[in-house]
Amino acid sequence: MDSIRSALDWGSLAPLRLKARQVADGVYAGNHRSLRRGSGIEFGGHRSYVPGDDLRWLDHRALMRHGKLLVREFETETDRALRLVIDASASMGYRGPNAPGAKLAYAGLIAAAMSRIALASGDPVALDWIGGTAARRLPATGGREAFERLLGTLESVEPSGDLSESLSDVELALAPIARHARKGAVVILLSDLIDLPKGSIDRFTALGARGRTLVVVQVLDPAEAEFPFEGPVRLRAVEGSGFVETDARAAREGYLARVGQITSAWEDNLVARGGRLVKATSASDATEVVRAILLATEGKAA
Amino acid sequence: MSFLLAAALAVGLLVALPVAAHLLRRGRSEVHDFPPARLVPVAPPVARQRSRLEDRLLFLVRALLIALLALLGATPFVRCSRLSLDRSAGASVALSIIVDDSLSMRAESHQDGSRHHRAIEGARELLGSAREGDAVAIVLAGRPARLALAATTDLGAARAAIEQLEPSDRATDIAGAVQLARSALDQLPHVDKRVVLLSDLAGGKVPDGKPPVWTPLAEIRTPVADCGIANVELRGRRVTALVACSTADAAKGRRLEIVESKDPTASNPAGGGKTELPTVDLLPRAGVQTLTLELAESRKNLDVRITGTDALRHDDEAPIAPEASALTIGVVSDRTTASVETGGPPIVEQALAALETEGLVMPIPVVPDDKSDLDRYAAIILDDPAGIAADARFALREWLEQGGVSLALLGPGAPTAQLGANFEPFIDGAVRWEKTKAAGGDPSTVAWLGAEGASLAQLNPRGRALFDKNKNARVLAKWDDGAPFLLEVDIGRGLAMTASLPSSVNESDFALRPAFLALLDHVIQEATRRTGPRRTIAGTAWAFPATSNVSVVGPAGKIEATESMQSTRDDCPPGASEPPPGCEENGLRQRLLVADVRGRYTVRVDDEQQERIVTIDADEILRPPREANETETGSNASAENALVDASPEFAMLLLGAFVLELLFRLWRRATPSGTHRRATS
Repeated sequence: MDSIRSALDWGSLAPLRLKARQVADGVYAGNHRSLRRGSGIEFGGHRSYVPGDDLRWLDHRALMRHGKLLVREFETETDRALRLVIDASASMGYRGPNAPGAKLAYAGLIAAAMSRIALASGDPVALDWIGGTAARRLPATGGREAFERLLGTLESVEPSGDLSESLSDVELALAPIARHARKGAVVILLSDLIDLPKGSIDRFTALGARGRTLVVVQVLDPAEAEFPFEGPVRLRAVEGSGFVETDARAAREGYLARVGQITSAWEDNLVARGGRLVKATSASDATEVVRAILLATEGKAA
Repeated sequence: MSFLLAAALAVGLLVALPVAAHLLRRGRSEVHDFPPARLVPVAPPVARQRSRLEDRLLFLVRALLIALLALLGATPFVRCSRLSLDRSAGASVALSIIVDDSLSMRAESHQDGSRHHRAIEGARELLGSAREGDAVAIVLAGRPARLALAATTDLGAARAAIEQLEPSDRATDIAGAVQLARSALDQLPHVDKRVVLLSDLAGGKVPDGKPPVWTPLAEIRTPVADCGIANVELRGRRVTALVACSTADAAKGRRLEIVESKDPTASNPAGGGKTELPTVDLLPRAGVQTLTLELAESRKNLDVRITGTDALRHDDEAPIAPEASALTIGVVSDRTTASVETGGPPIVEQALAALETEGLVMPIPVVPDDKSDLDRYAAIILDDPAGIAADARFALREWLEQGGVSLALLGPGAPTAQLGANFEPFIDGAVRWEKTKAAGGDPSTVAWLGAEGASLAQLNPRGRALFDKNKNARVLAKWDDGAPFLLEVDIGRGLAMTASLPSSVNESDFALRPAFLALLDHVIQEATRRTGPRRTIAGTAWAFPATSNVSVVGPAGKIEATESMQSTRDDCPPGASEPPPGCEENGLRQRLLVADVRGRYTVRVDDEQQERIVTIDADEILRPPREANETETGSNASAENALVDASPEFAMLLLGAFVLELLFRLWRRATPSGTHRRATS
């Protein structure tokens, strides 16, 4: 685990389990109820078994027939599954000088806290990744084991990949959500939004159909949000090999304006689809951010 | 070099640190990982310009700081080469500064300018180290040596006198200047007396004596290559130029050419014929060379110029002296009695030749009775004349009134004057020739002739001329029995002198004595001063009667006249508290004008105008500067250390650099917004 953690700079955000619990405990969990019942459950289909799935839902017949481990999925009318989509591209591994940890670590903390809240409410939690190495996708599952699996997955992921020109990676990550998320599901995208390819907004906001709730949490490093450099600098993009040489004082306004344009574009499209955008930096109070996300899921502004 | 000195100077190597930092910062900007780098606008020119400007200024200031720090650390050992007075026990100093203002000091011998310029700087440095109570005299070493400022404790006056000094075209008179400098300190009560000679030493040896002479400024004694025109004369249509070259290299590839005069004092500058003016190549050798050019037609107001350049351009051009501008001396003598038995020209002519003057000596059978015939002569010497006829006397007086100088050596022929002939205007009345028991002249009355005057004491005369002294005449020398030996009388601007012995060795040993040559030399000098030769060497004084209205305009503008008393007359001793009556009336007060720059001068005396040419001494070009010997460099006890501790200056500079660095940093902090606006615009 240590070697994995060394790939992602967790900084003071570790240990994730305790931090996520502290964050979740500090947040009012909401008043919705979606405890799944055993009876009256409508069969929703099969999916591949992943370690940790409740063996009660293992379809033995399918195993006998096809030789594959498949589990049965059920849907309820009050399904408010939490679908987390985390951007694990290389840029999310950035940790600036004033940040407690990398952006991806902070996104993982928010995701873990949201998962704990959701699971405590009986809602299943699914996890999908955009980019990243060892980014294991988790189907929507509930229970204590689901939280542990999610923590293990979050802690094992490594940021990698340049998504700026690869819309297919985004589509690949969002396809399971479009296929499986039912009405009332809450889809939360945690990303810096900076290096997502063109068309990502449309692909993501398209998920807002069928009564899903969309929330985008923009996680920036404080350095990305404030551009604190001075004097002549050469900036090296983590994704790609380009250098940008500039005068920091001269370039600050232009940079912040471009970041603002990207953020505004996401926010405008989200609002048009009933979604919300929550802005955060990796130095922001995670509890407040989670609270803002919860408010956003209810269609309220933070 | 001691270890401490080396260590202090090694600190100076740390100046490389800001250089390295500057290069590193200038070479590359700070590199940061920044994922959204593609969103950052590119602005490299602004960043580079700003960085370059700020880095360069900071670099300069900080490098200066380190260098000054190193020098300050080394100043106990490193000293600034500046002339100063080193005092023993802090006593006041009496200082004579000799500034050489001769022609050779005009040479550009080092990068800071001419030798004269450096000498003036040296004098300033010396005066800068002088204190209250020090006495300073300033002497000029151009020939003749002059006292520019008598010894004074007014240092402000000394500085003002130094600032007024200008180079001249004079020859060099180091010996005279040193003697003058020493005599200027004689009467001062100071114990510590110094003589400083700021010269290239190209002319004469420093005489021994006390106080010893210190000759700093070795840098102005670097030999230079120079060719100069010493003298140019026109005879008919032939131009004869005397060119002197210090080295053969200085003459290589150069030509002598005649050009139209641009001198504003020329009566008709740039005028004349349309024919092409001749040129001639200089011989590629050192020394004096006489070059001749032939004019196609007679021309006036021409100059001669040497093409090319050398270390002293001032002497590369000279005006052509008009014909007969040289000093011409006419000698009236009876060749049968005035010659020696071994043959040859008369004694007077031989004596004049022995003086090696530049003037021409022309024998005249009789005194001309037409004034126009006398005009060509600057001086006329009459040897044992048998009276002067009336017409000749009239012409002679008119000639004398206009500045002629004449000497009558009266002998046994004087009493044989024909009827109507006498010796006016030399003396009034009759002249008698008588045997005498007097042995010779009274040496005490002929001190004005210098050391040679003593030789008049034993003349072994067979006889002497006796005459009555007229009321205007002055007795210049007396016989040992009190009879007048030599008289002179001013006639207008001229001078008539009468001696009571002829040149003949049959009558006395007068012509065999050095005093005879000294007397003839005196005549020539008087002729030079009064009528002048039309051509004189720079520095020669032109004397005019105090009552005359004189105006002299030369290349450097109008020359101011100074009045002085003739100082060699025993009748009117200079400096006497009560001059004998009649001195003023006798015209002893005279007006002197000194032309110390070569060129063409327009002299206007009353209503008469004439042109004079001032030339330079060829020795000034030929004599190389020489290194001072051990005595002259100041290695003895009274010589001064030419190096001074520069710690205070370095400390002040260091402080200033610190302040500058601080101000610069404050300025950088105060102007970020302005820079930012420039960048974004």
